Amino acid sequence: MKRLGNLKALLLVIIAAVTLEATALVQLYFSQKGIREEADMRAESQLDATRNKIMDVIDQAEAAVRNSVWIAQWCMDYPDSLVLVCRRLVEDNPVVVGSTVALVPGYKARKPLFAPYVFRDGDELKTLSLATPEYDYPSKEWFTKPLELGQGYWSEPYVDEGGGEMLMTTFSIPIRDKNGTLAAVLTADISLEWLTELVGNVKVYPQAFSIMLSRSGRIMVSPAETLVMKKTVGEYVAQMDDTTGLTGLTQALMSGEEGSIPVQYKGATSYVYFAPVERTGWSMSIVIPEDDIYGSLRRIGGMVFFLQILGLLMIILMLRSFFKGQARYNALDQKRQRIEGELHIATGIQMSMVPKTFPPFPERHDLDMAATIVPAKEVGGDLYDFFIRGEKLFFCVGDVSGKGVPASLVMAVTRTTFRNLSAHEDSPGRIVKAMNDNLSAMNESDMFVTFFCGVLDLAGGNLRYCNAGHNPPMILTDAIRALPITPNLPLGIMGGYDFQEQEVPFHYDDAIFLYTDGLTEAENAEHEQFGEQRMKNALHGRKSAQEHLENIKEHVAAFVDGAPQSDDLTILFIHYLPTSLRLTLPNEIGQISQLPGFVEEAVKMAGLGQDLAPRLNLALEEAVTNVIDYAYPAGTLGKVELSADVTPGALTFTLVDAGVPFDPTARGEVDINASVEDRQIGGLGIHLVRQIMDEVKYERRGDNNVLILTKKY
Amino acid sequence: MEVKIERGNDVVIAYMIGRLDTPASLEIAPQMNALADDAAGTVILDCTELSYISSSGLRIFITLRKAAAAKGGKIIVRNITNEIRSVFMMTGFLNLFEIQ
Repeated sequence: MKRLGNLKALLLVIIAAVTLEATALVQLYFSQKGIREEADMRAESQLDATRNKIMDVIDQAEAAVRNSVWIAQWCMDYPDSLVLVCRRLVEDNPVVVGSTVALVPGYKARKPLFAPYVFRDGDELKTLSLATPEYDYPSKEWFTKPLELGQGYWSEPYVDEGGGEMLMTTFSIPIRDKNGTLAAVLTADISLEWLTELVGNVKVYPQAFSIMLSRSGRIMVSPAETLVMKKTVGEYVAQMDDTTGLTGLTQALMSGEEGSIPVQYKGATSYVYFAPVERTGWSMSIVIPEDDIYGSLRRIGGMVFFLQILGLLMIILMLRSFFKGQARYNALDQKRQRIEGELHIATGIQMSMVPKTFPPFPERHDLDMAATIVPAKEVGGDLYDFFIRGEKLFFCVGDVSGKGVPASLVMAVTRTTFRNLSAHEDSPGRIVKAMNDNLSAMNESDMFVTFFCGVLDLAGGNLRYCNAGHNPPMILTDAIRALPITPNLPLGIMGGYDFQEQEVPFHYDDAIFLYTDGLTEAENAEHEQFGEQRMKNALHGRKSAQEHLENIKEHVAAFVDGAPQSDDLTILFIHYLPTSLRLTLPNEIGQISQLPGFVEEAVKMAGLGQDLAPRLNLALEEAVTNVIDYAYPAGTLGKVELSADVTPGALTFTLVDAGVPFDPTARGEVDINASVEDRQIGGLGIHLVRQIMDEVKYERRGDNNVLILTKKY
Repeated sequence: MEVKIERGNDVVIAYMIGRLDTPASLEIAPQMNALADDAAGTVILDCTELSYISSSGLRIFITLRKAAAAKGGKIIVRNITNEIRSVFMMTGFLNLFEIQ
């Protein structure tokens, strides 16, 4: 069961994990794509914007130079005035730091070399001549290229050593005179400091950087300032530690086209976006490390992954606790079942301590008994018990308030207490009182026990009993009636309570039926109770104790008709069928009146017809009268002990007295045929005894007269 | 045990009601002794409601019977139950009394 649970949990977690990760991957793919597109767009737009800004400056510079062309043309006839052209160009255009008009050698015979140069030096404008043999301007690129191309030309950038290490470039344009002859080259030196700043400030991503390359691939702008104007990109790339990932980079940058190329350097990927700057031949590029592009995505992805792991962990924990709870519940349930099982075993043990074998006293024929506890589903606290000590039957029935463990424990205690106390106490009143004191003293749970305790004198045929708040038992004689009950408190409520003992004669064939309210309060589906009347009805008829028991159970079962039993149902049935009766009479004639009952019971006990009773009574009366009249002299106190015993085919009465030796059988026979006059007045008694009984025997046993009268049948 | 005595002109009727056991015999002895004075005439012992008799009761009967015999009177025992009859039989009383 647990293993299956774990397997299910594992499967659940795996499914959850796979779903989450698949979702995340799809999301990552599209996010990545989106971010890449975003990066492309941002890089391209930055390139575009930067390029436009550059072009603005370039255009401005070019325009300034071109606007001076016609003046220079116009001044060609007066070469000395050309310096004014240069001066105005520099003056009017902050971006132009220097300017010259250099005559084509030999154009003016008078001035084979002429190149006045105006430049900004701080706030001043200074002029010098470039027409020196050392400088040899006609060999300079800025001079030759425009003439060669016949159009404006942007020079390779350069660092102007004279003017404070400024990055410069020069725009030169050929000038023709009015006749169309190439006469000079007009130049404007343009500081590129702004370019460094402009390009350097392009920050698409935190770690991204921009590079500007010249037409020849020379690095014009780079975050690594040491490289600026020192190396070409090809040289730079070639000297790097790991060039395998940079293949094609140089070519791409120098292609003069727009585009992007991924490069790997030392395991890190970067994307290089590049675009040419028209006319200047420059190439601008933005390098964006992949980490920059995907950094936030990766951070978010990491976060998402972390959250997913957290979620999964939580699922696992929840499942674990769920299954643990399940396991704990199962364990608890098992525990509960075990406890219940143990309780049932405990109940079984208690039940086995109470007499369960029937007939309980196989050697005795004077008791027919049956008892049962039908336990409800839950263990309860019903009990019964009985035993014989000194020809007395001690018995009890009890019902502990409540159910479950406490009730069954109290039941066990109650039973033990009953056994202990009745082991040497004959009075049910005193037994119950002592039990109550005992149970009250240890009762901290306010549980109580309704309890009936009876002591049946098996020899004397009387029942003494004490009822502690229990249902009155039923007495089955000729009629069925409840035993008269003095109301007493149940056990365990108040220590020191004085319990009232009661007594009733208990005759041959009388029966007592004890029960707990589980019987009368057994409910059917309509919540109707079985009740006392149904119980009484079920008790009718002459049956053995066991038959009575089964009959009652059948009646209850038929009544409740499958409705669940809510309370223990306990029955104790005692049928008194003695084979021997005793009666002790004082030596008073008046006590004769007790004889008829005794004889009737003896006749019943012997299974003889009641029509025989008056005659047997007569015999017994005569015998007892004799004892009273003759064995005990007038004025002496004594008693006659009578017993009746049934043996197969014979009912025997025995009279024992401790009077003076007196043998009634020694008396001569009376002549019943004598005439009235001769007729003796006495002697009829023993005559009648002899007539009625089949055997009349006298014995002197020790100090006792023993007269044995036997009636055979 | 109760004895109701009805005295007529020439007959006395004693209704014996109940059980005539030993204590009862002692109880009714004075009444029955008084009845002996009537024994010269006819005394009827009505036993319709006499359910039981012991030897002491029988003694009362025979005492009365002897008195009647001595005085020339007559004792009639009327309506005895079977039970009493069997006791009378066992004791020979059926021969001593006139049973109606």
